[in-house]
Amino acid sequence: MRSLDWLVLCGTLVFIVSYGLYKGRGSDTVNKYLLAGKTMPWYAMALSIMATQASAITFISTTGQAYVDGMRFVQFYFGLPLAMVILSATVVPRFHRANVYTAYEYLEKRFDAKTRALASAVFLIQRGLAVGVALYAPAIVLSVILGWPDRLTTLGMGVLITIYTVTGGIKAVTWTDVQQMLIIFVGLFIAFAMIIRMLPDNVSFLDAVYLAGAIGKLNAVDLKFDLQNRYNLWSGLIGGAFLALSYFGCDQSQVQRYLTGKSIAQSKLSLLFTAMAKIPMQFFILFVGAMVFVFYIFERPPLLFQPIAMSELQSSAARQAYLPVQDRFDRAFEQRKQAALALNQARHIGNTAARAESLDRYRVAQKEINATRAEGAGLFERLHAEKKFNDTNYIFLSFVTRYLPAGIVGLVIAVIFAAAMSSSSGEVNSLATVTVIDVYRRHIRPDATDHHYLWASRIATAFWAGYAVFFAQYARSLGSLIEAVNMLGSLFYGSLLGVFTLAFFFRRVDGTGAFIGMLAGEAAIFGAFWFTGISFLWYNVIGCLVVIVTGILVSRVERLRKNPAAA
Amino acid sequence: MLHSSVMPRDRVEMPDEPPPFLTTWARVYSVVLVYLVLLIAVFYVFTRYFA
Repeated sequence: MRSLDWLVLCGTLVFIVSYGLYKGRGSDTVNKYLLAGKTMPWYAMALSIMATQASAITFISTTGQAYVDGMRFVQFYFGLPLAMVILSATVVPRFHRANVYTAYEYLEKRFDAKTRALASAVFLIQRGLAVGVALYAPAIVLSVILGWPDRLTTLGMGVLITIYTVTGGIKAVTWTDVQQMLIIFVGLFIAFAMIIRMLPDNVSFLDAVYLAGAIGKLNAVDLKFDLQNRYNLWSGLIGGAFLALSYFGCDQSQVQRYLTGKSIAQSKLSLLFTAMAKIPMQFFILFVGAMVFVFYIFERPPLLFQPIAMSELQSSAARQAYLPVQDRFDRAFEQRKQAALALNQARHIGNTAARAESLDRYRVAQKEINATRAEGAGLFERLHAEKKFNDTNYIFLSFVTRYLPAGIVGLVIAVIFAAAMSSSSGEVNSLATVTVIDVYRRHIRPDATDHHYLWASRIATAFWAGYAVFFAQYARSLGSLIEAVNMLGSLFYGSLLGVFTLAFFFRRVDGTGAFIGMLAGEAAIFGAFWFTGISFLWYNVIGCLVVIVTGILVSRVERLRKNPAAA
Repeated sequence: MLHSSVMPRDRVEMPDEPPPFLTTWARVYSVVLVYLVLLIAVFYVFTRYFA
């Protein structure tokens, strides 16, 4: 990082915090603090929803994913518009009219206290586990790439979000999200323009797209149905829709965003805008990753993008085994580069035979590169007795810090910070809301003044921000548990979606049916996780269906037990 | 239509205003869904063309 990078990074962060403090003024009642007094316009809610959903690791990892695996990940978002239409037509008006602070408060109004308590507990566990990781994950990548101490980075981000989140509540969170989203867009566009500019003179933008496509990096749609395949059109449309329904309909970190709307129409528009903007945005981020791949066709990449892993492979202990792999990698790189240039030329002059021949060489060389990278990863795994080495998260930042000019590097690091802070502040704010509304006000102090709850909300916000930083500080020592924690987080949505579906659409289901249904749904999801190879996108479908069926059956049995004549 | 017995207590009256364009929400939803279909079609053509 050069002086200009530091100037851009620090200037951006100071601007974000100052803007949050400025916009969060006047949050002096619980309603204003937790729901912004229901004054938010659609565009602010929409950008806030997108910013909360897009964590730093989304930007770091998605670009790397396109480099390694192509663009098929975009299909994960195909279900989003379907979900947003369903939520706008059904959930948004009901939450608004129910006059609730949290989604789980609605469950008590519809069912009973135990169902609300269970759903709140599920949310607190799930989000509580995720909130520290949102800070830790980018910090560890920055520590490896830039040598920054990860504990200091998480502490810095935590302090910044605490300042504006505790002071200004959701208003500050939402308006800083808007700024953060704009910074993210600007940063990505500039990075993209720089990549295209740095391609060799004889390779145009269209040539670059062709070279990426010829090697299978532009595989945005896969029509083949396969339950084991994580990303195809069907898992995206069906599994993705269920996941989006769960996330945007039952997760307080998202529900709270659109509960701040000044009207039902504004909240609906915010979701529909998100539905329309999210897929092109993800497509663009993946496309940036594909272009980084093309850049590295002409500029020699490292065997592994994780610098610590590379220096360890080059150390004396592993050197003997590493050198032949590196040699094969270098030769494959040269072959791929020559084949790509020949392919490009053959395309331009319309020589079909030469085109087919160079395309073949290009693909063979790519296979060799993939094989040598896998061998390099295997060497590192054996050196460390690690199970799965993956350098996907390091590809984009490694490129940025090595090749982009001063100022742009600072801007991209600011993008990473902005993304981490926007998702963490949203999560902290929603955790505090559930803690105060669903736990403290419901079970501990039901009859206090508005002023009391306002301060309780501020203290809860500070607590969750501190918890996030504390968790992130010790995340490194948890090692592979982090992956488990991330995985566990995705195991709770199906049952939440099921219980809300029962609440909205099944009038004969009672509290006991919903409660037992939720427990059965969770059991089914954990069963699918432990005992089957089904891709995680289908867990929400399974969990939701089990909750619905169990809820209906238990409620029916309950009715018969209480009133046998009804049979 | 949701049965009145499942409506939560403390319900507040909030009118569901029409959208600022296209007159009805049903039309807005249709536009979003048509947009999704078009987007998938464009991505599919993109995938096939450059593969």
